Amino acid sequence: MKRLMIAVGAILLACLALWGASLKLTESSVASGGKRLIIYNWGDYINPALIKKFEKKTGYQVIYQTFDSNEAMYTKINQGGTAYDLTIPSDYMVTKMRRGKLLRPLDLERIPNRKYLGYDFLHKSFDVKNAYSLPYFWGTLGIVYNDRLVRRGSIKTWDDLWQRRFRHNILLVDSARDMMGMSLASMHHSMNTTNALQLHLAKAKLDQLGPNIKAIISDELKMYMIQNEAAVGVTWSGEAAEMLSNNRHLHYVLPKPYSNLWFDNFVIPKTAKNPAGAYAFINFMLNPKNAAQNAAYVGYASPVQAVWQYLPQAVRRDRSFYPTQKMVKKLMVFKDLPPQMVQKYNDLFLEFKMYAR
Amino acid sequence: MNKHTWLGKVYLWFVLILLYLPIGYLIFYSFSSGHNMNHFKQFTWLHYQTLFQDNRLLAIFLQTILLALLSGLIATAIGTAGAVMIDRLQQKRQQKVFLALNNVLMVSPDVIIGASFLIFFTALGIQLNFGSVLISHVAFSIPIVVLMVLPKLKELDHTLVDAASDLGASPHQIFSRILIPAMMPGIVVGFFMALTYSLDDFAVTFFVTGNGFTTLSVEIYSRARQGIDLEINALSTIIFLFVLVLVFIYYLLTTKRFKKNGKIGGIIK
Repeated sequence: MKRLMIAVGAILLACLALWGASLKLTESSVASGGKRLIIYNWGDYINPALIKKFEKKTGYQVIYQTFDSNEAMYTKINQGGTAYDLTIPSDYMVTKMRRGKLLRPLDLERIPNRKYLGYDFLHKSFDVKNAYSLPYFWGTLGIVYNDRLVRRGSIKTWDDLWQRRFRHNILLVDSARDMMGMSLASMHHSMNTTNALQLHLAKAKLDQLGPNIKAIISDELKMYMIQNEAAVGVTWSGEAAEMLSNNRHLHYVLPKPYSNLWFDNFVIPKTAKNPAGAYAFINFMLNPKNAAQNAAYVGYASPVQAVWQYLPQAVRRDRSFYPTQKMVKKLMVFKDLPPQMVQKYNDLFLEFKMYAR
Repeated sequence: MNKHTWLGKVYLWFVLILLYLPIGYLIFYSFSSGHNMNHFKQFTWLHYQTLFQDNRLLAIFLQTILLALLSGLIATAIGTAGAVMIDRLQQKRQQKVFLALNNVLMVSPDVIIGASFLIFFTALGIQLNFGSVLISHVAFSIPIVVLMVLPKLKELDHTLVDAASDLGASPHQIFSRILIPAMMPGIVVGFFMALTYSLDDFAVTFFVTGNGFTTLSVEIYSRARQGIDLEINALSTIIFLFVLVLVFIYYLLTTKRFKKNGKIGGIIK
């Protein structure tokens, strides 16, 4: 019995020590006493140095939590029981959260640095007045190719993918909206079409791509492209940026005639306990210098215009990651479609996947 | 006969290698200077250095261990009490019902337990934080403790309890002098089992983590979007060593101490 008590005491002591140590680790950067700001973001989607800088500047203690999908984040916030002050949903999720009355309207007056945002990245269909959201990062859907297997510059349009030379050599990302959208765009139809005929035509065109397809996969696509397993991959620019940094033979193309434009956005959930801190943080992140530091770390494209001055020459010149205004104007944001339409997209894509040969 | 033991040994080694090869592979690459696990470049401690500068990840690591220890401790206390209670039930039928209810929790999938906890906490308006995770970890660890402790009580000769009370021992004395020593091996095993359950749980934790608290498994899962870097390999290596030490301590405890005390004669001092 005595020994048992000693063991219990030892465990409790160890717990206390661990608790103290973890407290010390998380608070070492701040003189505590400041208020807490809880940020809920994608995993590894911010430069940690910026959080430290923000804490030092404002005295807030930042608690940084992560999620791995829009849906997981939505469920957590919708369930309640959480008090995230700031989170970063993608475009269609902003609409969904707004409809679910989960968002607090933004008081834009409190974010003076919004003036640095490029006009092309504001007032998009998912939040026309930017009443609830401001863009954090943006990107496109495009084509990654390997210059050991494909001549440089020989891919320019979506239609190029249908050429015979890519037989059994294309990787597609497993996403109904994106792949149907690709097929629609190649036929100059809207990527948000609700026209049944256009959708069926798009599906028929995808079927023709069948012999060229090596696999339809999700996260593994990155790894396969890096390992030179396929000549061509269709994926998002953020993913592509990471592939490019791992394999210098890879290149990213934003195909003609147009493509999808997506956003991850700052929003303040209804459950926020410290909106003042959230405003301060958004404002801080939109400061061009900070935005540039963040973009350099994360590798996605920043909607803050002045970031340009701080980016390295090579990145600035790369039109596929930072397209010209003219190109951006053409890009199409996915609209939140009614559920039966989403179902239609999913069904057609599933049918295509099942019989893709 | 000899041939069979030889075959058995080969098979044993085959299984062991199969189980440890992936972990070895992971540890091996934690020392590579590259950014991925495709080619081993050069030996480096770099990933360990970045790991030890990553305060957030280290804090999460410590919190995960803290959670495991604390939930293990509480679950062991509750589970042991539960085992004593089940053992005391007069009717065999009642005992069976309680054991069956206990086992249902053992076999039901983590996802269901996690989802039900999430619904439960939000229905009661409990904030999702360290407390909610602790409660759920305690809850899913209790059944295993009960299962580990109960057989020791069954082995115990109950006439000992009767004899003790005949000789004037108080209930407290009976509990601390007879029941506890008899259950001790079960309690220790139960505690370690609860510890490992808590350490490697992902599904339940995923549902109930919230403000300001997360565990290692949930954090690593969230990072997977950007591709897992070798810092995680380094961390996994450290955890593997940590668990190895734990198992070693457990081995020492079970082989030395309880061999002596395990016999009935050793119980009453």
